[in-house]
This record gives sequence, structure tokens and C-alpha cells, in this order.
Amino acid sequence: METVSRLIVPLVMCLVGSALLLSKKDMFSVFTDGARDGMNTAVRLLPTLVALLAAISMFNASGASAALATWLAPMAEKIGIPGELIPLVLVRPLSGGASTALIADIFEKYGADSFVGRCASVIAGSSDTILYVISVYFGAVGIKKTRGTFPISFIVMVFSVFFAVFLCRFFFGM
Amino acid sequence: MIGKICGFICVISFIFGICTGNAEQMGAAVVDGASSAVSLTVSLVGIMALWGGIMRVAAETGVVEKMAKVLSPLLRFLFPDAYRKHNGWGEIAASISANFFGIGNAGTPLAVKAMEKLQENNGKSAVASDDMVMFTVLGSASLSIFPTTLVALRQSAGSKAPFEVIVPIWICSFFTALIAVLLVKCSILFKRQKS
Repeated sequence: METVSRLIVPLVMCLVGSALLLSKKDMFSVFTDGARDGMNTAVRLLPTLVALLAAISMFNASGASAALATWLAPMAEKIGIPGELIPLVLVRPLSGGASTALIADIFEKYGADSFVGRCASVIAGSSDTILYVISVYFGAVGIKKTRGTFPISFIVMVFSVFFAVFLCRFFFGM
Repeated sequence: MIGKICGFICVISFIFGICTGNAEQMGAAVVDGASSAVSLTVSLVGIMALWGGIMRVAAETGVVEKMAKVLSPLLRFLFPDAYRKHNGWGEIAASISANFFGIGNAGTPLAVKAMEKLQENNGKSAVASDDMVMFTVLGSASLSIFPTTLVALRQSAGSKAPFEVIVPIWICSFFTALIAVLLVKCSILFKRQKS
């Protein structure tokens, strides 16, 4: 598993390289177009990240985050979720930028390879910003009554959080 | 929304900091936080640009069309109305495949196009159709094969194995999508029985 995951990136680069060599289309400009898009996504995140990371680091320094964690942790642990993940779980359905900021914060505090860091990764990777998706999709076509969409998406999200933590226990132990 | 969250955090922190005597550390922490956002972005830009390019090449080589073909029996089950009316079919396939490859921002316009087609089938009603609920619930359950931002974040945090979370993410996404489909189908059956 370890070697496989280390070979993924070189292998992908090799596949892209062969697409560059074999395709009749101008694959290099396709690549640079995509790269420009990826870059723009990262840059567009910056203003949001500045505001949120400044606020989060103020939150940490004020001692409020430690107090919140000690207050919420027992409840969270009781339902089987590490207490450190609660802020991320609360914010994940609301805002992509804010969850990126929180994940960065968790990685810095506990490390990306810690149990909490891995859980945060799986939770973030297997869920989306429900609120954004629903409002953009339905807003675009003028739907007012969304029927069960919101409650269903919410239940699905809650399920994915529990399942993500369960999978991390299974894959990484602890 | 994001503004409200941010404002809430700031006000709470200020009050809490004053009350607990942590007020002095807060000033320095705010400046630190803002500059750490910049260094985070700098390390993200390169990685995300690289993956953005790779994913675009994958999409261009026809992987997305092949995906749509493979998906078609499944889509027929998920979106029976669009299938019957032969409208919105291709758009749904394109959008779901795009989500699958994590094309990100390029995915939103595709999804909106699919929603427009579904709205045509829906007769311009203000109430969402079955197909639309299914499409939106699936859209809000992440189905990405490669979570670009997340891997970039892990790499920039110095993870020794940034990819080790990919397999659990796949499994989790798969079952999440399964639950999503079941719940939507159940809600449709429930609605039919009531009427």
C-alpha cells in the first residue's frame, strides 16, 4: 500500500506524458488551461482564507477554542467522534473556504498523519458544501419548493461523518 | 453565510479573550493567522495547478465520455423522467462525470445546464421534480475520485503519505451516495403513496 501510494504521482505524470505524446490535439494547452483553472481556484480562496484564518487564530488565542473543545469533547466522544473534529463537522456543509481553513488548522495542530488529521481528511473528502450546492442548483432554475432535498442531504452528511470516522478506525487503527 | 460565521467567531473570541485575560495574545494571533493564509495559498497554488492540468487532460482524452457510457444504465434508474423524455440526458451524464473527476469550478456550469434541462421536463414549475431532487442530493454528496484541494492541503502540511486517505474516501463516498439514492427513492415512493 505504502509503495503503491508513493508511485501514484509518477504514474499519473507518465500517463499524462503519454497523452501529450500520442494525442493529435494540442494536449499541452489543454493542460495549461486546466492548470490555470486550478491556480485560480487556489488564488480565489485567499481572501476568504485570510479572513477566516485570522478569525480562527484569534479564536484559538482567546482560549475560547480550548473551552469549547473541553465542553463539546465528552459529548462528541460519546457518539464516537473525536472532539477536535466538531468545528469542522459543523462548518463543512456551510462553506468550502471555512472548512479548508479549519482543516489547515487541524493539520497544523495535530499533524496531517495523526488520527484526527486523517479523520478530518476523509470527512472533508467525502462530503460537500450542501448549502452552496442546493442554493446554486435550485437558484439557477428558479425552484422555490425543494421538497425533501435539504433534510435528505443533511441526513446523508451526518451518515458520512460517522462512516468516515468508522473507516479511519478500520484503516488506520485507534 | 461565511461572513456570519466569521463575525460570530470574532465577537465570541473578543469577549472570551477579555474575560479570561488572554486579550494581549489575540492581536499577534490575528496578524499571524492572516499571514499564514498567504503561505498556505502559496503552497496550494502549485499543487492545485498541477492537478487541475492533469484532470483536464484526463477529461480531454475522452475518459469523461467513456464514463458517461458506462454510467448510462445507472442514470436511467436514477433519472427516469429525463430518460423517458430524452431531455437532459447528456447534460446529467456530463455533469456527474465532471464531478467524478473533480473538475471543480468547471463542474458548476455543467450542473446548472443539467438543471435547466430538468426544469424543462418539469414544465417550468416552482416545485422541484423527482429528477431534480435526485440530481441535487447526488451533487451535494461528494463523488470525487480525486479530492484535489484536500491532497494539496495534506502535502503542504508535510504529510508522509498524502494519498493514504484516498481509499477510505472512495468507500465513504460510495456508501454515502448509496444512502442518498435510497433516501431519495424512498421519499418519491412515499410521496406517490400519499397522493
